Amino acid sequence: MADELTTPAENTWCPGCGNFGILNAFKKAIPKLEQHGIDRKHLVISAGIGCHGKIFDYVPLSGLYSLHGRSMATVQGIKLGNPDLKVLTFAGDGDAFGEGISHMIFAAKRNADITVIVHNNGTYALTTGQFSPTSGKGFKGPSLPSGNVEEPLNPLSLMLEAGASFVARGYAGRIDHLADLIVEAVLHEGFSYIDVLQPSVVFNNTYKEYNALVEIIEKPAGRLEDAVQLAKRFDRLPIGVLYKVSKPVYHKELYGKWNPAVNRLMHEERKRRIATYLSERLQK
Amino acid sequence: MAGGLQGCKTFFINGGYGIKPMNDDVFTYLIGGKAGQGTKKAGIVAANFFSALKRNVFQMNDYPSLIRGGHNFSLVSTATRKIYSQYMKADLAVLLDQRSYTIHRDHLTENGVLVYDSTAVKQGQGIGLPIASLAKNYADPDLIVGVTGIAVLAAVVGADRAKLDTLIQKEYRRSAEDNLKFAHEIYDEAEKKITQRFELREGKETHPILAGAETIGLGASAAGLDLYFAYPMTPSTPILHFLAAQAKQLGVVTVQPENEIAVANMAIGAAFTGARSMVGTSGGGFCLMQEAFSLAGMVEALVVFFLGQRPGPSTGVPTYSEQGELLFSLYPGQGEFPRIVASPGSIEEAFYVAAELLDLAWRFQTPAILLSEKHLTESSMNVDLDIEKIRAAAPDMHTSGIYQRYRQTETGVSPLLFPPSDAMIKWNSYEHDEQGYTSEEADVIARMHVKRRTKQESLIRYLREKVQTVNEYGTGDPCVFTFGSTTMSVREAVLHAGLSCTVVQPIYLQPFPSWNLMKYVGRKAVVVEQNCTGQLEQLLREKTGITPISSIRQFNGRPFNPVDLAEQLRKVIG
Ligand SMILES: Cc1ncc(C[n+]2csc(CCOP(=O)(O)OP(=O)(O)O)c2C)c(N)n1
Ligand code: SF4
Repeated sequence: MADELTTPAENTWCPGCGNFGILNAFKKAIPKLEQHGIDRKHLVISAGIGCHGKIFDYVPLSGLYSLHGRSMATVQGIKLGNPDLKVLTFAGDGDAFGEGISHMIFAAKRNADITVIVHNNGTYALTTGQFSPTSGKGFKGPSLPSGNVEEPLNPLSLMLEAGASFVARGYAGRIDHLADLIVEAVLHEGFSYIDVLQPSVVFNNTYKEYNALVEIIEKPAGRLEDAVQLAKRFDRLPIGVLYKVSKPVYHKELYGKWNPAVNRLMHEERKRRIATYLSERLQK
Repeated sequence: MAGGLQGCKTFFINGGYGIKPMNDDVFTYLIGGKAGQGTKKAGIVAANFFSALKRNVFQMNDYPSLIRGGHNFSLVSTATRKIYSQYMKADLAVLLDQRSYTIHRDHLTENGVLVYDSTAVKQGQGIGLPIASLAKNYADPDLIVGVTGIAVLAAVVGADRAKLDTLIQKEYRRSAEDNLKFAHEIYDEAEKKITQRFELREGKETHPILAGAETIGLGASAAGLDLYFAYPMTPSTPILHFLAAQAKQLGVVTVQPENEIAVANMAIGAAFTGARSMVGTSGGGFCLMQEAFSLAGMVEALVVFFLGQRPGPSTGVPTYSEQGELLFSLYPGQGEFPRIVASPGSIEEAFYVAAELLDLAWRFQTPAILLSEKHLTESSMNVDLDIEKIRAAAPDMHTSGIYQRYRQTETGVSPLLFPPSDAMIKWNSYEHDEQGYTSEEADVIARMHVKRRTKQESLIRYLREKVQTVNEYGTGDPCVFTFGSTTMSVREAVLHAGLSCTVVQPIYLQPFPSWNLMKYVGRKAVVVEQNCTGQLEQLLREKTGITPISSIRQFNGRPFNPVDLAEQLRKVIG
């Protein structure tokens, strides 16, 4: 369905892919964010490399299409450059928890004011379905035809332990719910993480299972331990905000109200300051 | 003696080589001890002392990669003329422990004075002072010995006690009273025992003493640096520390992320917002940045990468100096895109080159490398910086019409816009069309390759027309080719021995300024560099056909001693 948020880029996702749900949820979130005073030009996106990353071309927003596993670092750089911008990135589970896991942990640890949306499909889809950090044991892919021999990571509890101040789970099959999560995550000041259950119809078709198991939770857990408990439930799959807490954010801790791109010192002022510095260094 | 040097000691370190003494008044001070004994600080204080006499100084600190113990020393050479290197033989050596004594006892000039700690060294030759046993009466005996160096220096150059006191009050503010008392004890002992005195002539003018790390930080911030990202790695760390300490004054924010991959990617993200960004690292860290370097080439990000060399391969020798990464620095990152590499030939020049690279990175929207060495970042000398020469790094901005991030232009450079903007600004690591959307179309791929190649051609044109890419010092044959901090060693050797030759130093190494070097083809050439395989030599040969009759290489982690280098050059010159 073409709308004002459609771009000329040809959409190449497989029909029925969970990525469509995420794209549509994001498109719904944009006008809602505008109602909250966040205009489109202040919304800047990034993406990793994988099927998920193609979303970069499918929304007409400014941003930087990054490397595999590095978009979390990219958006932290954008935020540090100009903290007036709201930054969010779309990452794959391989992207975020394989190649780029260090950036995820540190972004959460330092409470960088960014939003990371992981399209968690439990496989390296674009590279044709190998097992990923979140694939279950026994998952069969071309690089291990007899089945994955590793246990999966639990991204939610990992992010909670790393210090994320906002942790949520959404489902690509619940678009409106996901749209609201995205709005809330972007509005949250600090590191916000949304793990999106994303069926890959080709390599890991989980629609049936998710439809049966997801359960909306209305309220975040009050305590971290309870949120971790929620993250570790497998009988039901709770979706919604699992945990949300207010903490000092990284760029403000680092440089207060400064804005490097906006407040940058003018040339004459720089020269004056350097001249002062040099005269102070002179031995008299 | 010519040139009004009467009353001043004139001496020549190289007596043994039979080089005719020149009109020169270099004085070298050496202080050695364990890490933690404040030898570097003592070197700095001595340098400041010389500088207050309006003399020029060059200070080099030699220290292994450890925090306490080991063997550290600081060499400060001073002259009334400009001086570009430390000398390895001292006129005054102050040695605070047995190890320093064993290593340095012979590193003296003909009339050199050696002062050692007689508590630590048994049966030493020279002047023994009971430094450690005197220090025992103080609250922190280990720390207090650091002040010995300056007390002995004052005695040896005939500075009175009042002068010594002023110096200590200024330089050793922490527990100044103890330091004063201890310094007096040492000074009095030294006065009694030292017979040889040196008179240091006053020079004409003085300039601040700065390390290369400082001039690089200042140059970059003069050109507009806003954000500096780095993960600690010697020898780039001093830039991080300097900028962090001066952050408020210079309006620069420093960031220490989780690893070099984050460093480089964050810097590219920051550049996307219009903030002037730079990263600092050494070889190992730069290896980790390769993919991001290539990303910068593709998205056309404007980031300066500082690459500080130390002996490699691998972890190598962290706190020493080498030029083994010249060839590595020329083509980092996968794929074809314009790269800029420049290496400053002095601590002073580092200021201008850092600023110029920031400007070039922004002008041509491509990553630039500032290639240097430990010998430059961590050594210091007097520098006369002309801030008026610095241009602000100003990109070509989009002004009107429909915005396209990768618009085709005559120069290959597409005007910039930064968010927030009503226009859509897409930087893309995939091959992309003019708008920034991913593309796999054959004609788009070819078109964008041509765009980047056109940019490279514009860059070369600009360097040819507007930028000093090669330095030349002196006249006559042979031509001595060198680069980076080795230029300082070569210039000092030439000055020291009064050699007649032309020193040629390419500042820019990528694009290689062949247009400025072809004129040397056919002349007798020598290449001096600090690596084992002759990388500058290979590059010269490949790009210009210049083939040296001789190459002088040192690859033991230590910078050249100008006296030895002069001797080697003299052999070639004949
Ligand atoms: C450094 C690097 N290594 C490997 C690749 C190849 N690669 C592209 S996408 C991908 C995995 C994608 O998996 P995921 O991040 O889960 O995204 P998905 O395709 O499932 O959305 C890999 C390994 C790459 N682009 N860069
Ligand atoms: S391979 Fe899987 S993840 Fe990729 S587009 Fe197709 S269905 Fe979606």
